[in-house]
Amino acid sequence: MDYFDKLAKQIALYVFGAMVISSVITAVITWFCLYLFPTLPAALVIIGALAVGLISAFFASRVVAEYILEPLRVLWKAILHVSPGQHEVSPPDLEKIRIGRELVTSLALQVYQLASSTPSETKASEQTTSKTMIDHANILQTFPLPIFVMNKDRIIVFANPAAAAYIGKTLQEIIGINLYSVLDLAFSEGETFDQWLTKSRTSKVTSEKLWSHVRLSNGEQNGDKQLDMAAYYNKDSTDNAETIIALFDKTAEYAKNDDGMSFVAIAVHELRTPLTILRGYIEVFQDEVSGTLDPEMADFLRKMQASAQQLSSFVSNILHVARVEADQLYLQLHEEKWEAMLTSIVKDMALRAHVRDKKIQLSIQPNLPAAAVDTVGMYEVISNLIDNAIKYSGKSNRIIVRSYLRDDGLIETTVQDFGIGIPTSIIGNLFEKFYRNHRSRSSVGGTGLGLFLSKTIVDAHGGQIWVKSKEGEGSVFGFSLLPYAKLASEQKNTDNKDIKRVAHGWIKNHSFYKR
Amino acid sequence: MDQSAPTSNPNSDIQIPSQPIVPKELRFKNILCIEDERFISELYARALEKAGYSVTVEVDGKKGLEQARTNNFDIILLDIMLPSMTGIEILKALHDSGDRAKLKARFIITTNLEQKDETKAEIEKQADGYIIKAEVTPKQLVDFLQTLENPS
Repeated sequence: MDYFDKLAKQIALYVFGAMVISSVITAVITWFCLYLFPTLPAALVIIGALAVGLISAFFASRVVAEYILEPLRVLWKAILHVSPGQHEVSPPDLEKIRIGRELVTSLALQVYQLASSTPSETKASEQTTSKTMIDHANILQTFPLPIFVMNKDRIIVFANPAAAAYIGKTLQEIIGINLYSVLDLAFSEGETFDQWLTKSRTSKVTSEKLWSHVRLSNGEQNGDKQLDMAAYYNKDSTDNAETIIALFDKTAEYAKNDDGMSFVAIAVHELRTPLTILRGYIEVFQDEVSGTLDPEMADFLRKMQASAQQLSSFVSNILHVARVEADQLYLQLHEEKWEAMLTSIVKDMALRAHVRDKKIQLSIQPNLPAAAVDTVGMYEVISNLIDNAIKYSGKSNRIIVRSYLRDDGLIETTVQDFGIGIPTSIIGNLFEKFYRNHRSRSSVGGTGLGLFLSKTIVDAHGGQIWVKSKEGEGSVFGFSLLPYAKLASEQKNTDNKDIKRVAHGWIKNHSFYKR
Repeated sequence: MDQSAPTSNPNSDIQIPSQPIVPKELRFKNILCIEDERFISELYARALEKAGYSVTVEVDGKKGLEQARTNNFDIILLDIMLPSMTGIEILKALHDSGDRAKLKARFIITTNLEQKDETKAEIEKQADGYIIKAEVTPKQLVDFLQTLENPS
């Protein structure tokens, strides 16, 4: 209590001092004015001096208030300094206190003591958190889903036994390791886990996402797995668990689709072998005896050749549609000379047009930019569009293929026929799978796979496919492609630069279609 | 338009240079064709020999690997589905033993089998070329191999 008496005395002294200062100022000014200017009326002098005295009293009281408040401020800082979540507040400097130093020092020390005694309590609360962590971990120990918990450095800080078992490793081999060294994941579409996490970190406090059809490469002895995956991100997680991942194994389920796929792959292989042979022998005849045949026989030979070609295109169509269905159609876009490529494909199609008495006119705008193309995929698109034009040409025999640069900088390619056209009622459904113009079923073969596949492939190129048609006058199918430079500027993709894909195959550093 | 018998050249509307002239001296002359379907190897050998290549056919995977190791070949056409050893296994065996680097041959995969993507990636690493047989006639195969002669 002595401290308080002392502080009270100090405050009284300061207040008294302030009062004395203002009184003295008033008295001095009064005396000064009366002495120097005896002509001035005394009342005016006293009022003026009082005003000055009051103003000085006002400032003096402000100063005194600051002094009196100082101990409070110091205490406030001391308390803030030890309270959780306010660590940026620096401790007050007790040496610099002008009044009530003993009292404030003693109070501040008491605050510090209280704060440092709280550790025993904080510890207790920490124990409860880590206890809940252990409880959680205990629950997760027996939880059948693989769970991984990562810190901010993507290091795995926790994994449950189900997780270890799933990837065929021990817990010791997982914990403390970077997630990406433990899980080799491939995402079928959209955002990858890493992209999601990066995005979440920059813009979210919490975030969650579910992926399906994720592939886990799991080393040779464990085999690959297919799964769905859920992840939860929490920026403010207190126990170092920034991201939590749960895996849902779907290997068996998705493998069913793969089986369907491998059935198609086997069927395609079995179909292709005799086709290869047929096309090979027909070519020998075409090259070596067609000159000696009478025109009818030569014509038959060409028809055989064209039909065999058509069959191999169809077999490829089936395969690619099966791929689309199984989410396994992957395209690699490369820089291609579009004029050369289109010319080459149209040349391949010429025989098929020819045996049906159609002629393909090709008109390409000069100096088109190089296109970003998956050659195998694009071959399918153009051959399907031309095959359709041949099929639906009716009695007309002209098919026009054009390619030009659009005003928006995209390369557009169109295939036009002057045949039966498409009724407006069904034009909206054309690009759906298995859709066909039913009225023409009797006269025209086909499966309705071609346009569906073409749209899928064009979409995957970042282009758009469209149709314009009038019944009885013919149809125009067109699609746009990105120039390579445009795509390259949008996304830097320098992988596999040495591999050039070509239709039906590829060769390193060479282009099949270079002539 | 003329609806009568088609003219002899179906490509008359399209201006495309004729087939490249096969050079007299081939840089990649000796070809090993590892292919178990005899009709296909017969067709390939015939077309390639007509174009001036010298062709050896091998039906069996293991024997094909032995032949490849002799380093007598400039080009090796390698099927994937082969008896006793697949084409992929042949490539892997050559790679793992370190022989692959010593061989002058270019390896061209010739297959009708659709690959899984993992296998595809593996093939892209190991082989110099890849064709689907059903999509390429023997003459087109010759054109394909010609691109090795005139590197771009």
